[in-house]
Formats: sequence, C-alpha cells, structure tokens
Amino acid sequence: MMLSRVLSNLFSRPATRPFPKTSREPVEGYRGAVEFSQEECVFCGACALRCPANAIEVDRPAKTLKFDLFKCIHCACCAEACKRGCVQLRSAYHPPVYQKPEFEFSGAPVLAAEASPATE
Amino acid sequence: MDFGQNVFLVERICGICSFIHALCYCQGIEKLMDVEVPPRARYLRVIWSELHRMQSHHLWLGLLADAFGYESLFMQFWRNRERLMDIFERTAGSRVIISTCAIGGVRRDISPENLQYILDELVVIQKTLDDAVDVVLNDRTIRARTVGKGVLTAKQALELGAVGPVLRGSGVAVDARTEGFAAYGELGIEPVTEEAGDSYARTKVRARECYQSLDLVRRAIERLPDGDIAVRPRGRPDGRTVSRVEQPRGELFYFMGADGSARLDRLRIRTPTFANVPPLVAMLPGCEMADVPVITLSIDPCISCTER
Repeated sequence: MMLSRVLSNLFSRPATRPFPKTSREPVEGYRGAVEFSQEECVFCGACALRCPANAIEVDRPAKTLKFDLFKCIHCACCAEACKRGCVQLRSAYHPPVYQKPEFEFSGAPVLAAEASPATE
Repeated sequence: MDFGQNVFLVERICGICSFIHALCYCQGIEKLMDVEVPPRARYLRVIWSELHRMQSHHLWLGLLADAFGYESLFMQFWRNRERLMDIFERTAGSRVIISTCAIGGVRRDISPENLQYILDELVVIQKTLDDAVDVVLNDRTIRARTVGKGVLTAKQALELGAVGPVLRGSGVAVDARTEGFAAYGELGIEPVTEEAGDSYARTKVRARECYQSLDLVRRAIERLPDGDIAVRPRGRPDGRTVSRVEQPRGELFYFMGADGSARLDRLRIRTPTFANVPPLVAMLPGCEMADVPVITLSIDPCISCTER
C-alpha cells in the first residue's frame, strides 16, 4: 500500500492550486462581496435594522446609506431583508485594500469614496 | 442585538462547531416560543451538524498524526477535510461560519443537485478516510504511544463530569443525540463506545464517529422530506429554559432566560472542553513526560471552547 501511495503521489498532480496564477471558479451562492444597487434603493432602512453587526447606517430623512465593509460579517441578512433586491452578495471575495473604505451613497446617487471595492 | 441576531454571535464562539452552537441556541429559543420546526429543516440541520462533526474529527485526527510527526498523514486528513469545507461553501455559502440555522428552521435549502454532489463527495471522503484511519489505528508507533496511556475509568469519567468521546471512550454510552433533537429521533442513533478508557480508545471513538456521521448524512439525505424550510416565529421569548446538543467534543449546554423583550435576559453556555479539563487532570498523574502532549490532545482541547 505504501509503495502505491508513493508512486501515485510522485506522478499525480499536486492537490493544491498555484493560487495567483490559477484561481478557483467561484461557487454559486457564496456569500461574498456585498453590492448595493443605488438606483433602486428607497432608503427604507430594513437592511440596517436587520444587520447584526451594525455595518449599515441609513438616514431616512437625509436619504443616505453608509456601509462599513470592515464591520460586515457577510451573513446576507441585508439581502434577505431588502424587499426591492437592492442588496446582493456576489460569489466573489472583496479585494484586499490598503485603507478602510467606507461606501456611502445618497438619494441623488453619488459615490463618497472613490474606487470603493464594493462597487467594482 | 435582539434574540434572532444572537444566532450570529453564538456561532462565533467556535469556528469548528459553529453550526452546532447555533442549533443549540435556536432549539432553546424555539422551546421558549413554542415553535414547531418543519421536518425538512430538521433533516437539513442533521446534515449540516454531522458534516461539522466529521470535519472536526478530521481536524483532530490530523492534529494527532501531526503530534507524532506524521506530516503526510496529517495532510491526508486535512486534504479530506477540505472536501467537507467545499461542501459547506457550496451548500451554505460560507466555509466556516455557515450561518444557515435560524430560529424556526434554516435559512437555506439544499438543492437536489447539491444533495447528489454531497453523496458523490462522501464516497471519495470515505475512501480516503479508510486508508488514513487504518494507519492511525494500526500503526505500531501510534499504538505504542496511545494504548494504555492516560487511562480514565468509567467511574472517574462519570464522577468528574467528562463528556463526549472522552466519556464514551471510557465505556459510558452517553450521547445527547440519543434524546432525539432535530431529526435524530427519526434517524435513530447508537452511541459509539470503547471500553479501555485510554488515548487509543478515545481516538477509536472519534474515528468510528466519522463513519457514523457518514452514515447519518446518507440516511438523512435519503429520507429528506419535502416542504418548508422555516416557519416565521411570532412574538418574543419569555421564560427560562435549557438546551442540550452533542458537539464533536461532547455535550453542549445552553441556559437562557428571556423576559418577553427583544433582548435576552440571560445566556449561560457550558462548552464541552471546559467539562473535559477535570478528567484530563485525572489522566495525567503517573504518565511519562513525553506522553503529556498526546494525552492532552486526546481530550480534543479547543481554546475557544475553554475560554468561557
């Protein structure tokens, strides 16, 4: 048994993947990057109410939404709470960043932080 | 955080058995609120619980091999465990904190294609497990370092309050799953026990439990009923209750008190490693210095479990 294992390990492909060169196919239904659809949002605050990590702040009178990616636990409660389907979790990772970005938009869709990873 | 959001908090107590923490919490709240969980949700809970048990035992068996310096065997177990993590990723949307349990049922259904995918993966997992477990249980060095080391008698185990594989390794057939929570009552379960009470017996219990979990997942998939996966709980919890489930390391115990408001009044958690520390103290006297790491490892110590 030992010999067959040695031979098979010598001639088989490695079990691991050379990551930066080849990345894995994203899995369908993975709770990854959080995306907000600014055009559809009516600032009802349902997502902020359900968020267990308080990562979303919605100011209803001022019509602004703030999302703190570093607080997010990717539970997808916001996506479940949103009746209009404005919040979605893509099956991809958030790319690494140097600074803590804060994603914010208001009634007239404006991006406060430029090049926010959540919108890429 | 309200009582529904607490599920995400208790899941983060331990990453290795995150689903089972959430299950214990949800069952307690469901008891307080008189919520009847749909059958399909109960079976799905069994599937995810048993997959969690399997990956936890794989992790431990790998660490045991690593403790002896068997790096290749360690990698074999952990490579097999990756398949289990991939199952979580595909069925639950996350690899470690799977967040699928909720009060009143589960948050996600498993599609027929994914059920077939699980069954296909289990065939490969079992094949690799057969080879690796054969080495762990029959290798001369491992036997020499575990057989007769760190003996805990059944009487000591009961007196010191041992739980899980430590208790069952001493020949006491106690398993919280036999009480029939989730769908365990319908699936039927026989506790895995070994008589010797040494490190080898505890290893054997965990290895056999991997096969028991394989069997339970297959039977749960086979008998998975159709229907809803969750009911919407009405009102707020009020009263005091306890909830018990079986984790990979042993019995998990939650005491919770609610006063009818959105937030819980009290939540007390007793984790299995915490209960297994006094038995460990009884196992160590008289052993050789070189056996201390292996005996300590034989209770499957989890730091996040102990830090309560």
